[in-house]
Amino acid sequence: MTLTAGVTRFTGKNSLVLAIASLFSIAGFVWPFFYQGTDLPQTQFFFWLAVVVAFVLAIVEISSTRIDAKSLALLGVLAALISALRPLGAGAVGIEPMWFILILSARVFGASFGFILGMVSMFASAILTGGVGPWLGYQIFAAAWIGMAAGLLPKKVRGKSELAMLIVYGAIAAQIFGVLMDLQYWPWALGSDTQLSYVPSGAISENLKRFITFHCATAMAWDLPRAIFTITLIAFTGSAVLAALRRSYTRAAFLTPVVFSERVK
Amino acid sequence: MIKFSNVSLIYPNSTTTVLENLNLEIAEGEMVLVIGSTGSGKSSLLRLINGLVPHHTGGILAGDVSVDGISTQLVKPGGMAHLIGIVGQNPANGFVADTVEEELAFGMEALNLPNDVMRKRVEEVLDLLSLTPLRNRVIATLSGGEQQRVAIGTALVAHPKVLVLDEPTSALDPIAAEDVLSILHRLVHDLSLTVVIAEHKLERVIGFADRIVQINGNGVANIGTPEEIMLNSPIAPPIVNLARALGLEEIGLSVRELRRMTTDIREASFEPLIASTPQQEVEIIITKALSVSYGQKIALKSVNARIYNNEIVAVMGRNGAGKSSLLKSIAGISDATSGSVVVSGIDPQTLKGKQRRTTLGFIPQEPSDLLYGQSVQIECDQADRDNQLSPGTTMQILTSLVPGITAHTHPRDLSEGQRLGLALSIVLASNPSVLILDEPTRGLDYNAKAELIRILIDFARATNKCVVLATHDVELVAELATRVIFIADGEIVADGPTLDVLLSSPAFAPQVSKVMSPQPWLRISDVITALETAR
Repeated sequence: MTLTAGVTRFTGKNSLVLAIASLFSIAGFVWPFFYQGTDLPQTQFFFWLAVVVAFVLAIVEISSTRIDAKSLALLGVLAALISALRPLGAGAVGIEPMWFILILSARVFGASFGFILGMVSMFASAILTGGVGPWLGYQIFAAAWIGMAAGLLPKKVRGKSELAMLIVYGAIAAQIFGVLMDLQYWPWALGSDTQLSYVPSGAISENLKRFITFHCATAMAWDLPRAIFTITLIAFTGSAVLAALRRSYTRAAFLTPVVFSERVK
Repeated sequence: MIKFSNVSLIYPNSTTTVLENLNLEIAEGEMVLVIGSTGSGKSSLLRLINGLVPHHTGGILAGDVSVDGISTQLVKPGGMAHLIGIVGQNPANGFVADTVEEELAFGMEALNLPNDVMRKRVEEVLDLLSLTPLRNRVIATLSGGEQQRVAIGTALVAHPKVLVLDEPTSALDPIAAEDVLSILHRLVHDLSLTVVIAEHKLERVIGFADRIVQINGNGVANIGTPEEIMLNSPIAPPIVNLARALGLEEIGLSVRELRRMTTDIREASFEPLIASTPQQEVEIIITKALSVSYGQKIALKSVNARIYNNEIVAVMGRNGAGKSSLLKSIAGISDATSGSVVVSGIDPQTLKGKQRRTTLGFIPQEPSDLLYGQSVQIECDQADRDNQLSPGTTMQILTSLVPGITAHTHPRDLSEGQRLGLALSIVLASNPSVLILDEPTRGLDYNAKAELIRILIDFARATNKCVVLATHDVELVAELATRVIFIADGEIVADGPTLDVLLSSPAFAPQVSKVMSPQPWLRISDVITALETAR
């Protein structure tokens, strides 16, 4: 018995490549805490490059395994939708309507799909909004992780508690995205002589304290509205959007058995 | 070219066989018509040809389907793309690119053809389907018939050997339909393309078909020449029903044939039929110098129309003539540029909530625009609550209208006809005084159409009610309407009793009147009544 194609899932090799790529970009995020030189390093270029290479590697790896037509169509439509939503709020204070669709789609279609969807839609929307720069690689990975984690939430929760869970997750995800974006920006943001500046080869605790203060002082104005906006959208549209996505899951007949036999009965 | 051997099909989560032991061989260069009532498995049969069923839907397929020697068991639909072109029911759903030229090239990009081949083929197809003047047009601005031709073009660029079409003319006016069908006819004869086509409106296609596959509801199919199948088929175009009603020994499939058989009837003289015109007393809808324009485009020019109680008015005209604009203005949905509309003494744009529901019921071209619930049951319950009806009333209307709908189905998973039924029952539940329907017969089979006609006639009989509908379906108009308003280019060019308007234009005359002309008969029942009174 064969099945109709399923929603795309990572193979073992995919996961390995993605784990390595993710490790690289994690290093790209957290290096300031472990860096031991005295001056701001020129190695920033190394990480910018590394994140981009990791992204390309991930895309190549994913597309080398056969994504079937239905998954690809679904991915294309959802990525286009998310990308189109992003410019709607570009510039405005944290009004980013893209997150709730990413989270809800990843919830329905799973972690692998969420990872790819986050990646592709962030990349596509960056091209659409002209937001291509050194930060793009970081944004792509942040979105991919958010999608993946949404897909990993416990499957059995349904109904009101599911919505509550997604709201909580939405708030956390919006915060985490803000933290990650600050983290990649903070070492270069302030020059070297303010109280919040990054101290090269300073103690981890000192730098962490400075970073948290920096984050609270500057970014809360973005992160809080982003979180509020995302959870409002999830709360109001969540059940309808989830129902629509779940319906397309059934309609696409993922993993439905196909049987060829001699006779029917 | 196409071979079905002992094919049976069962969909997942279902126990009934959609097709049972179907054996069918379609030769190269044949045009085969698939008929059957809604839900009988026409679309399944079409989609079996390129393996979309069961590869994309799941299910149990017994037996074997092969095209040009390739079995769908072994090759997935993608591997058949160069061999089989598929044109869906609604071409607009399948378009990817913006302009005609790009759309034609898109399929070839996916097949990875070299650039120079693509250029050549685009030109070729543009010529073949007379699309050259449209090559740079934006697809969304094309008319229905033009879009359908582009859709056929996109299927043809890959040089398929088989073309499969699901109801290619159901959304088209008679002239555009004729256009599309004559192109298909030419492709079959000039290129020896094999064409398989499913269609409800038999009167349009039967003349072109070499053979007919008739699917009965129980999964059994009959196959034969049109003459053979039409002798006993429960689904038949008006012309065949006319031959049967007259008790002719043979049936004719074209107006010409049937005219030859009925010379004596036509040439006899008859008492004129007494037209039962309803009493016209109360004006329900009045439009005064109504103009509507969208940007530069003028949709309606100073339309004056009056619609009285107990009338069923059909608004006819080509695609894009302004039918929908008139209907929307009456429903109070589109803004008038100048002039006024009054429905039951009120400007329809000011109607709100309950008053709106009880004054007018509007069913748009796409009935699913009215349906937001997650299931049929939820929609029906909502309608009951809105109109303070006892629970289950709307569901009851629905089951009398279209039997056999499961309550937990999502409205968008219903067939076209079922969806219309659902929208209609919700609208009827609030018992409005005016019922407005835009193109209600798309995707309806003859049974569903007969039921729709019965319901609308019943509805219009009640006091101070009327029905306005826009349609291309001349047969429906002949059976149903008391008056026809013919619109061209935003202006009313004809307004009068159905008989007068339909007989004056050969393109819009129903089959019965074409056969019986110059006798002034529109319906089979007219013919029979006239013959009986003469006897």
